[in-house]
Amino acid sequence: MFAKLKKKIAEEAAIAPRPGGAARIPRSVSKESITSVGADSGDDFASDGSSSREDLSSQLLRRNEQIRKLEAKLSDYAEQVRNLQRIKEKLEIALEKHQDSSMKKFQEQNEVYQANRAKMAEGMALALEKKDQEWREKLVHLKKEKEMLAAQLQEMREQSLNLFQKRDEIDELEGFQQQELAKVKHMLLKKEESLSRAQRELEACSQELAHAKEELQVTSHLSSCLSSELQDLRQQHSELAAQRDGQLAAEVNAENKIAALEQRGQELQTLIQRLSADLENTQVAASSCEKRLETSQMEHESLKLEYEQHKLKVTVEIDEKNKLLERLQEKVSSLEKRLEGNFSGDEHAWELLKEKTALEQKLDDTRQQLLAARTSHAETVNLLETQVTKLNSQVTDAQASLGEREEFLKTFRESSMCQLKELEQALKLANGALVRSKEEIGERDLQIQKLQTDLEVESSKLQDHISVAKHQCAERISSLEAQIAALETAREFDKTTSQHKISQLEQENEDLIASRKEYESSLQKQEFELERLTKELSSRETVSVGIARALEEAQKQRAELQQQVADLILLIKEKDQLINEKTDVLLKKEEELNQLSQDHGALLLQMHLLQSDMDACKSQATEREEAAGKQISVLSLKIQEQEHLMASGRNTLALEAARALNKHLHDPEASEVEQNGEVATADIIQLQKDNRDLEQQISEKNKMIKQLQQRMTELKKTLQKELKIRPDNEIPEVREKPNSEVPNVAMTVTNNADLNDSREINFEYLKHVVLKFMSCRESEAFHLIKAVSVLLNFSQEEENMLKETLEYKMSWFGSKPSPKGSVRPSISNPRTAWS
Amino acid sequence: LGGFFSTIFSSLFGTREMRILILGLDGAGKTTILYRLQVGEVVTTIPTIGFNVETVTYKNLKFQVWDLGGQTSIRPYWRCYYSNTDAVIYVVDSCDRDRIGISKSELVAMLEEEELKKAILVVFANKQDMEQAMTPTEMANSLGLPALKDRKWQIFKTSATKGTGLDEAMEWLVEALKSRQ
Repeated sequence: MFAKLKKKIAEEAAIAPRPGGAARIPRSVSKESITSVGADSGDDFASDGSSSREDLSSQLLRRNEQIRKLEAKLSDYAEQVRNLQRIKEKLEIALEKHQDSSMKKFQEQNEVYQANRAKMAEGMALALEKKDQEWREKLVHLKKEKEMLAAQLQEMREQSLNLFQKRDEIDELEGFQQQELAKVKHMLLKKEESLSRAQRELEACSQELAHAKEELQVTSHLSSCLSSELQDLRQQHSELAAQRDGQLAAEVNAENKIAALEQRGQELQTLIQRLSADLENTQVAASSCEKRLETSQMEHESLKLEYEQHKLKVTVEIDEKNKLLERLQEKVSSLEKRLEGNFSGDEHAWELLKEKTALEQKLDDTRQQLLAARTSHAETVNLLETQVTKLNSQVTDAQASLGEREEFLKTFRESSMCQLKELEQALKLANGALVRSKEEIGERDLQIQKLQTDLEVESSKLQDHISVAKHQCAERISSLEAQIAALETAREFDKTTSQHKISQLEQENEDLIASRKEYESSLQKQEFELERLTKELSSRETVSVGIARALEEAQKQRAELQQQVADLILLIKEKDQLINEKTDVLLKKEEELNQLSQDHGALLLQMHLLQSDMDACKSQATEREEAAGKQISVLSLKIQEQEHLMASGRNTLALEAARALNKHLHDPEASEVEQNGEVATADIIQLQKDNRDLEQQISEKNKMIKQLQQRMTELKKTLQKELKIRPDNEIPEVREKPNSEVPNVAMTVTNNADLNDSREINFEYLKHVVLKFMSCRESEAFHLIKAVSVLLNFSQEEENMLKETLEYKMSWFGSKPSPKGSVRPSISNPRTAWS
Repeated sequence: LGGFFSTIFSSLFGTREMRILILGLDGAGKTTILYRLQVGEVVTTIPTIGFNVETVTYKNLKFQVWDLGGQTSIRPYWRCYYSNTDAVIYVVDSCDRDRIGISKSELVAMLEEEELKKAILVVFANKQDMEQAMTPTEMANSLGLPALKDRKWQIFKTSATKGTGLDEAMEWLVEALKSRQ
């Protein structure tokens, strides 16, 4: 507030001091009064509106209080007015003070300005003086420079003098240099010689190296041979092992046999036991039979006793009957006597008779009874006797059977014993064989072990040999290489030094060389020409020789035909001679010839053709002959010229060459002259040769076609196989160059546009790999990262991220790697803008 | 979690799983050999589109055996599996005289890989039970094995269906791997 006021006062004071300061204060007072009065009235109205009539007294009291308050307020306001008037007075005083102070300031500023101006004037004067001094200094400096330049000028003059002196010296030096150059030339020649020597040495070294390499090859060959031997030995070893297996199998078989034999022996023993049991049974049966026999004998004896008793009884009875009979007979006799004696009474006699008859009848009956008893007894006796005999026979049978049984048993025992012995012997033999086979096996094992040890020793020896040889070779090679390197370095050093000299010398030698080159070029041209001519001659010669050979062959081939045609040819020749002598006779002879040829034409159609060919070829041959003669003459002329040219330079050589050429030329000429007549046949042969060549070419082409067809079929097969495996396969290109394509895939992941096609094809492969990658263990998955990244065209970063993640999963510790660009492939830039 | 513990155990006791690849042309018998080695039985197989991986234990050594499909179109992917390989079993059909050249070129290309420089090579001359089978020496020569340098290799005649020769080959491989360590 105060600051503002002050500002305003200052403005007023600055612009124009007005006397309106008193008028401003009442305005503010009035404002305050108005607001206060307004507030009072508002308060009254509000109290009136809300109060009741009964409280008028209290209202009056309140009014009074309010009046009192208002009076107090009025007094306050009066005091405030007074205060304000005091403030006003103070402000007026302050204003006056301010005015005074500002006046003072004005004066001070004026004074400062004056002072500054004086200072400025002084500064300027000082600066002027400084500048003046500088200029003077510069002038001095320039003067110094001038002196310096003068000194330099003098120096330059001295230098020019020196230069002249030096020029003279340089001339001298050039003289020296030329001398030095001559020396250096000499040295260069020497160096070249030494270089050639070094090269020779190097060549020798290289030869040695080659020799060493050959040795190495030989040793390697030896080592391969040894390895093959080793393999053979291994094979032998395997064979021996197989034999051992066979032996073991035989042993097992033998053991099995022994076991079978033992079993059989056991069986036999059981059989023997059974048989002994049977024997016992039979013995028991025999004893029972004996017992039975005894009982039967007892029975027999008892029966005998019975029979005897019976007999006795019967005899007693018979005796009694006989006695009775006798008594009766006595009676009868007595009676008869009585009868006879008496004769009394018939009746009595009759009765007696009757009695007698009855008695006789009785007697008869008794007799009959006796007889019957006797017969019955006899029958019973007979029966018993038969029984006894039967029993005796039975006993004898049983005894016989017993004896047989015993004999059988004995024989059986003997046989079983024999069998047992045999079996035991066989067992012993088998055991012996087993032992032997075991021994054999042991021997075999030992042999195998020996062989193995031998093999190992041999192989170790061989390996040692090989290693030693290799080592030697390596040492030799290294030494040789070191020698070579040393020689090469020496040579290079020499070369560099000599090249420097050579380059210096070559410049001087250029003129001489140029002139020499010119001479040489001319010489070379001549030589070339000579060579060309000699070559031409040689080629001609070879051609003529070939022709001669062909002609000879043709002569041989056509010998038969010529013999057949001999008369005709002779005739033709004669006619030709006649034609040459007499043209008139020629026509006749020709006619005759034609006639003869027509006569023979039917028989020799081929001959006609050949003759026509021969005629044509004759003309050609004559032409060729002429041309050859011309060429020969030209060549001889050329040679003569060459001889002339070369006479100055190379007399001896040219002469030799010319002589050789002449010789060569004369021989073919002679041969050609001799074989003029047979040139046609030679041409035919030539044609045949061409034909043969063409046929050979055709056969070669056919072979090539066959080979190509075979390859085509092979390719088709492979293609079909591929198609069978996957019908949408279209990778013959991949098949052809899989190796060249693969490196691109792996080395630069971005540059594998070639793989895009095959990637589609190998979608199945990708599927499988990804499936495995997700399902298999981490250690396995770690190895699959590369395959996955190649198949899915991952970048290096993505691949690394995958690796880190897997490592994190596999390890105990470590923090999870932060996902990089691969998580959001769209954001490629690093997110630095965020921080 | 079991795999996790097994990895802990293996890391504690230092019995690292040997990693072996079975490679060869299609129809040479790689898958049959793998399952013969693992379960000792002949299984009926179909052409492998992809690969088979099994853990085979032989003489207290654990092998992680990878049998990669050998068809022409997926042969280029072999190289994805080469890293950290201890041994390669290369299976060749002894009766397939026509394609032994292709087999050789594939073998040579494989052996030139830098990742397989230290791997041991075992060649299985398979299908030796057939009558017209080639002998191992013949096959070794036609595969160019004698020319191999800096490579421990051996050829075995095997028959996956009969089971012959596999034990000797594995024995040799185990010895070779032990001696290499």
